[in-house]
Amino acid sequence: MHLPVLDVKGRVTPEDSKTHIRIPFQIDQDCSLLQVRFEYAPKVLEDRDRSLMLLTQSFETYLLPEQRERALNQVDSYFPLNNLITLSLDDPNGYRGACHRHDASLELQLSAEQASPGLMPGRLPAGDWQVTLSIHCIVMDSCEYRLQIGVERS
Amino acid sequence: MRWLACELHTHTLHSDGVQTLEELAAGAAELGFDAIALTDHNTMSGLAGKESISNKYGLFILPGMEWTTFYGHMVTLGLSEYADWRRADRSRIVEGIQAVHRLGGIAGLAHPFRIGSPACTGCYWEYEVKDWSVVDYIEVWSGTFASIHTNNRRAYALWTDKLNEGLRISATSGRDWHAQKTTDEPLSITYLGIPEGEETTEEHLIDSLRKGQATVTIGPLLTLAISANGHNFELGSVVSSQLHAKDLGALKASVTLDFTVRSGLWILPDQAFKLILCSDRGQELEREVMWSRSNPKDPIRLSGLPLTPEPRKWLRAELWGIVHGVHALIAFTNPVYFD
Repeated sequence: MHLPVLDVKGRVTPEDSKTHIRIPFQIDQDCSLLQVRFEYAPKVLEDRDRSLMLLTQSFETYLLPEQRERALNQVDSYFPLNNLITLSLDDPNGYRGACHRHDASLELQLSAEQASPGLMPGRLPAGDWQVTLSIHCIVMDSCEYRLQIGVERS
Repeated sequence: MRWLACELHTHTLHSDGVQTLEELAAGAAELGFDAIALTDHNTMSGLAGKESISNKYGLFILPGMEWTTFYGHMVTLGLSEYADWRRADRSRIVEGIQAVHRLGGIAGLAHPFRIGSPACTGCYWEYEVKDWSVVDYIEVWSGTFASIHTNNRRAYALWTDKLNEGLRISATSGRDWHAQKTTDEPLSITYLGIPEGEETTEEHLIDSLRKGQATVTIGPLLTLAISANGHNFELGSVVSSQLHAKDLGALKASVTLDFTVRSGLWILPDQAFKLILCSDRGQELEREVMWSRSNPKDPIRLSGLPLTPEPRKWLRAELWGIVHGVHALIAFTNPVYFD
């Protein structure tokens, strides 16, 4: 039987880049399966002028002056720019893994026997759990996310 | 020393790779590797079942994780368990590295000059390292045909600067291997050395890298040793000051180039290579090394190379030549150090 535990929505902006958002939740005893659904949108920056502006700034910060012209000539190889938010998970005793990938939508499952890639299977202890959303980079004025957590009882 | 061909930076679908550990191991075995390190982004879950895969492909699989943070990517190897990458603050990475050390692991800067956000989030090393002596290694060659890329030349220069400051930091290559795609570009190999009489284990491989018993190449295995007063010093070891004092006889270097390693898995044109010995004193010696694929004399040994008794902090060998029509660094050793 599926029981919802958490359903939160949020909005992040470029100023939130390089920060973590920690979202605690509790689970009771007798949970046999944890389900996490996470999605964010938009993913891809379609605005070419803005992309170019962001990349030019990035070239100035990270590349040597003699590398910049070549990088600008090959600027298409850096497109498209994306928002990137990744998710990691902690149980009451510690880290249960991370899903560092570029998908804008994740459907994760965790139980004693199996886990979605990135997460570690094992007992689902009752108590305080936490999702950490790592806001690596937001390239648009606004990016909306939704995190849903549910459990199944044995 | 027994030299093992290693690929120290890889990913699977447990992070953003598009390969399973088994597909990665099969690909590595086919390319002549003896060991790989799995360094998925921020997770070690991909290591589940590694023993059977390791046995099936005759390949060591070192546990690792790439800290994929906002201010840099840091490869960690040999940990018994997870160290928390999320606490890394821009000015406090030293504490993160110390946490890795407490768990038996080592830590290295990954591709420190790759462009950062938004092109590659967190890829450029922006941490303020308050104590470089805690850093175990720097991945100075990232990706394929590594030595021609400016980002890698900057990493190599950073490593050299740190050696000149008197630090003993190892240097490695890493493909940052995400997918089983074939490439015509030269692959870099980090060879880790296990001393004669020592068993090859995961722990010993990690220890070799920690000590700098390492040499990096796109083809031939390049090694350097120094003899002083009857003693022999291999890569990563320290020539003590008593032994290289002026009155204690000549200091000689010997270099070995083994072109038979990973035979058939790399190609270089016949040519006169340039072998260089360099140190914090600059370039100390240059020799031409003729080589052709039909060379009957293999490995090539250059011994009794004279070194000045003037003090130096470190000495390494470099092999330069033509690759894909470009003059490039082909191989370099980690240093022999001096007290």
